[in-house]
Amino acid sequence: MARSSPSPHKPRRKPKQAGYATSSLSNVSTVETMARTPAFPLAAFLWPARGTVSQWELLPLILMAVGLFRWAAGLWGYSGFEKPPIFGDYEAQRHWMEITTQLPISQWYFHDLQWWGLDYPPLTAYHSWLCGKIGSLIDPSWFALFSSRGSHDPTLKVFMRATVIVSEYLIYVPAVVVFVRRYSRLSGVANWSASVALVAILMQPATILIDHVHFQYNTVMLGLVVASMSSMLAGRNLWAAVFFVAALGFKQMALYYAFSVFAYLLGSCVFPRINLPRLIAIAAVTAVSFVILILPFVIGTLSDLKSGIDSRPDIDGPRPPLPLFQGLADYLDTEAFYYPVVEQLVQMVHRIFPFARGLFEDKVANFWCALNVLVKINKYPAELLQRGALLATLASIIPPNLVLFFRPRRELLPLAFASTAWGFFLFSYQVHEKSVLLPLMPMTLLLAGSHGLNKNNRTWVGFANILGCWTMFPLLQRVDLAMPYTVLTLLWAYLLGLPPTSLGVYFHEGGNTWSQWVTAFIHGAFYLAMALWHVLAQSVRPPPDKPDLWVVANVGIGAAGFSLCYLWCVGRLVVQSEILPRSWFGKKDKAKTQ
Amino acid sequence: MTEIYPSLAQCAVVAAALKILLFPAYKSTDFEVHRNWLAITNTLPLWEWYYEKTSEWTLDYPPLFAYFEWTVSQVAKLVDPAMLKVYNVEYESWQTVYFQRFTVIITELLLVYALQMFVDSSHGASKRAAHAAAISILLSPGLLIIDHIHFQYNGCMYGILIASLVLARNKSTMLWSGLLFAALLCMKHIYLYLAPAYFVFLLRAYCLSPKSIFRIQFLNCVKLGAGIAAIFGTAFGPFALKGQIPQIFSRLFPFSRGLCHAYWAPNVWAMYSFIDRVLIVLAPRIGLSVKEGALQSVTRGLVGDTSFAVLPDVTPRVCFALTLVFQAIPLLKLFSQATWDNFIGAVTLCGYASFLFGWHVHEKAVLLVIIPFSLIALRDRRYLGAFRPLAVAGHVSLFPLLFTPAEFPIKTVYTVFWLILFLMAFDRLAPASSRARFFLFDRFSTMYITISIPLIVYCSLVHGVVFGKSYEFLPLMFTSSYSAIGVVGSWVGFMVVYFTS
Repeated sequence: MARSSPSPHKPRRKPKQAGYATSSLSNVSTVETMARTPAFPLAAFLWPARGTVSQWELLPLILMAVGLFRWAAGLWGYSGFEKPPIFGDYEAQRHWMEITTQLPISQWYFHDLQWWGLDYPPLTAYHSWLCGKIGSLIDPSWFALFSSRGSHDPTLKVFMRATVIVSEYLIYVPAVVVFVRRYSRLSGVANWSASVALVAILMQPATILIDHVHFQYNTVMLGLVVASMSSMLAGRNLWAAVFFVAALGFKQMALYYAFSVFAYLLGSCVFPRINLPRLIAIAAVTAVSFVILILPFVIGTLSDLKSGIDSRPDIDGPRPPLPLFQGLADYLDTEAFYYPVVEQLVQMVHRIFPFARGLFEDKVANFWCALNVLVKINKYPAELLQRGALLATLASIIPPNLVLFFRPRRELLPLAFASTAWGFFLFSYQVHEKSVLLPLMPMTLLLAGSHGLNKNNRTWVGFANILGCWTMFPLLQRVDLAMPYTVLTLLWAYLLGLPPTSLGVYFHEGGNTWSQWVTAFIHGAFYLAMALWHVLAQSVRPPPDKPDLWVVANVGIGAAGFSLCYLWCVGRLVVQSEILPRSWFGKKDKAKTQ
Repeated sequence: MTEIYPSLAQCAVVAAALKILLFPAYKSTDFEVHRNWLAITNTLPLWEWYYEKTSEWTLDYPPLFAYFEWTVSQVAKLVDPAMLKVYNVEYESWQTVYFQRFTVIITELLLVYALQMFVDSSHGASKRAAHAAAISILLSPGLLIIDHIHFQYNGCMYGILIASLVLARNKSTMLWSGLLFAALLCMKHIYLYLAPAYFVFLLRAYCLSPKSIFRIQFLNCVKLGAGIAAIFGTAFGPFALKGQIPQIFSRLFPFSRGLCHAYWAPNVWAMYSFIDRVLIVLAPRIGLSVKEGALQSVTRGLVGDTSFAVLPDVTPRVCFALTLVFQAIPLLKLFSQATWDNFIGAVTLCGYASFLFGWHVHEKAVLLVIIPFSLIALRDRRYLGAFRPLAVAGHVSLFPLLFTPAEFPIKTVYTVFWLILFLMAFDRLAPASSRARFFLFDRFSTMYITISIPLIVYCSLVHGVVFGKSYEFLPLMFTSSYSAIGVVGSWVGFMVVYFTS
C-alpha cells in the first residue's frame, strides 16, 4: 500500500505531474499532512496516497469504495417492506413513477390522493417520470396503473435502488467533489486532506441510511444545494440561483436553506458596494428558473384541456372551489381558459405545503416535540402554535443570516447554511426526523474547510452526525434496520476516530484545555446517554401507561444535543465572520462552549 | 521500524463492516450445506455423521472440519435451536443467517492473524511489499465473493495455510508448518493438491541434512511422522475404529462426477471443450466425424457426463497423470534448492497444475493458486508480470458464481476496485528484476487485461439485451475461455520465472 516509499527501481512510466499541484499549496498544508502518523483510521487508509498519487487515480477508487457501501446497504429492507395496507416511502416513490408515466400531466397532483398522492414539487415529478419510463422498458408491470401498488418484486427493488444511486452519482457526488475541491482550495487545505474530507462526507451514515436503506431521493435535493453553494464559491451567483431553484423544485425542504441563499446573494449585491445590475440579474434568473420549472405543467394542462382530458375525472358536476386562496376565485373568471392552470398551480402549492397538519407529526427531536413532553402544547389553538413556531424560527435564523448578509464571505457559507437549517429543524412547523439531513449536510462539509480535520472540528461534526443517526433509530428500527444502522454509524465513527470507538479526539495538546474539558464533558454525557438508551430500549419494556417512553427520551436528548450544535454553528459563524470587535472574542468564545 | 498504514487490523475492521452489510445478499446452496452439517454434527452420534443422508447435502469434508462444525453448533444452540434439526431442510431464519454469516467473519480472524505473521516474518525493504500483499489477500474479491456472499469457510482455512507457509520460513518452526498442514488436510481435502510440494520441501529441508541428501535426520523424521500420525489419528481414528474409513472416502472422493463442472473452470479442459465446440461447426468442412450423442450435451457438462463431439474423450486417469507430471517438474527444482521462495513457488505451481489439469475442478479452486502466489508476487517485476493476468482471470472467472442482479454491482465494482488498487500499488512496490524481462510478455498481459473490459460489458449487459434468455451458455463460455487463456498464460510465464530465477 505504501506507495509513497521511494522505490528501489526506476519506474518505466514517470509518475504523473499531479504532485506539483500539491507542492504549490504545501506552504499552507494542514497539521494532518505534516504529522508522522495518521491521526484517525480514515487518514491511515489514505496515508499511502500522500504526495505522489494523483487525484485522478484516487478519485475513482474513492467513488467505487463509497458506492460499494451504498449498494451493500441497499441490500437490506426498505421502508414499508411487506407492511400492508399502505406500505411506506418506497411505495410512495414507486407510485409516483406509476402515476407520472401512466396519467396525463394535469392529473398528477389530483390522482387518488389517499394513496400516496404526489406532494413534492414538479422536479420530483419529472424525475419520477424519467425513472418510470426507464423502468417500464425493463418490466412494464412494475408501473402498471393500480395493479402495481405495493409491489415487492425483488428485481423492482434492485431497479429502485439503482435509480437512487444513479441519481446520487449524477448530482450529489459530483457536486460534493467540486465543492470540496473549491472549498479546500479557498481555505488553503492540501489536496490530500481534501480527499480525506471527501471520503468522510460521502460516507456520512445518515444520508446512506435514509436514501439507500430506508429509501428516498434526498441526495438529489442536497446535491443541488451543494451545487448552488459550490457556484457561490466560484463566484457564479446566477448559477447558484438556478441550482437553488432546482433544489426547491425537487423537494420543498430546501426552504430550510432559502434564507441563507437569500442573505448571501443579497449581501453580495450590497457589500462592499451596492451592485444593482447584479441584483436584478439574480432576481430575473430566479424568476425565469421558476417559470421553466412549472412550464411543463402549464403547457401540459392547456394541451390536456384542448384534447378534452379532465384533470379530475373522478368528480362529476361543478368544479370544487380552490383548496387554498379561495379569495382568488372572486377576481378570476372560472370559465376562462387560464383558470385550469391557476387551479393546477394552487393544487400544487396545496399539496406541497400541508398547512392543515399539526405542529409536528411523529416524534421528532426538535424543540416543540421536546417541549411537548413538559407541557402538553397540543391543547393550545393551532393558530397560536403556528404563530409561535414562526416567531421562534425567525428568532433563531435571523442572527446567523444577518451575519451572512453583512459579511457575505464564501468561507462562511457552510456555517451559515448549517445554522439556518438547524434553526428551521429545531423550531419550525411540520418537521420530520429525516429533516436532520439538512443541517447535517453543510455541517459535514466543514470537514473540507480550514482546519476541518483537526480535533476540535471533528468532535462537533462527528457529534452532530452520530446524534443525528441516533435520533433516526426509532424510524429505522420500525423496519428492522438496526443492523445497517449499527454498522454504518460505527464505521463512520471508527473512520473519523470518534466515540464510541475512540476517545482520543477529545484530548490533544495545545489549545484551550479548559474548553477541551467542557466539550469532552458535555459530549461524553450525550454519548453515554445514547449508549444507555440503546441498552434500556433493547432490554427494558416501557411501563404500560407510557408506551412511548423510549422514543420520548430519544427526542428530548436529541433536541438538547441539536440545540448545542445550533449554538456551536452560530458561535463559530460569529467568530469567523469577525463581525464583532476583537476585544469581545475571549468572552464570546467561552459563552458558546458552555 | 515505522508502522505501515493502513494496518491489517484497520483493513479488517472496514472489510468486516462491508461483510456485515452483505448479510442479506444472495447465498448459494452451500449455506444450506453448512447448516445441515451443523445439524448433523450436533444431533447425531459420531458414528452416523458420514452415513446421514436426509438432505442431499451430505457431509463430504474430512473429520476435522466436522469437529469444527460441532464446535460451532455448540454456540448455534444458544442462537436458534431450530437450525440444528436435521429434518429442517432449507431452514433460514434471520438468526440462522446472522449466525452463520458471523461465524465466517469471526473465523476469518485466523487469516488476519496469519497475514500479520507473514508481514512480521518479512524484513527490510520487502516488508512494505509483504504488507501490501497481505492486505491484497485480506481484501481479496475471491474470498469476498466465495465466503461472504456465496458462503463457505475458505478465509479461515487459507489462514491456516498461510500460517503453515510462514512457519516454513524458519528452520525452528518447520515442524509446526508440517503439522499445521496435516491438520488443514484433515479439514478440507482439496489441499491435497498442494501436498506434493510440502512433502518434497519437508523431506529435503527438514528430514534430510542440508549438506547431503544421503544423511537422514532421524530425530526430525520421528517428530514429524509421529505428529502427523497423531493428527490423522485424532481426525480419522474414531471412524477407523468402527471401520467407516471406506464410507468416508466414498464421500470425500466422488469419482462419478464429470470432467468439467457445470460451469467450466478456466483450465485446460475449458480450452479443450471450447475447441471441441468450434470443431462441431468446422468438422463437416474439414471432414472430421462428429459423435451424434455428444451434440446434445453441448456445454451442459452436467455432473456425470462430459462428452466431446470431435476430440477424444478424457479419462480421470489422463487428468491424474498430467497433473502429476506438471507437479513433478517444479518439485525437482525444489528438491535441489529447498529455499522458502522456491517452496512457495512450488506450492503455487502445484496449485496451477492441479487446477489446470485436474478432474472436475471447481472454479473456486483458483484461490489455491492466487493466494500462495500473492505471497511472492512482489519479489520482482517478473513475478508481478506473471501474476497480473492470473489476478484478472482468476477473479473474473468467479463472476458466474453470482448471477443475481442485486449482487452484480458488488462483484464487478469490488473486483475492479481491487484490481486497480492493487495492480497500481504492486506496480510501484515491485523492485526491478536482476534479469531481463522476457520478450513481449508484458505486452501480452496488458493487452489481456484490456480485453477484460469489453468482455465483462458483453457478458453482463450486451448479451442480455441482444439475445435475451437464449444462448445463455455463450457468456459463460466466453468468460471461462478468456479466463483459461489468462490462467494458462500466467502459468507458462511463472514456470519460466521459476526456473530462471
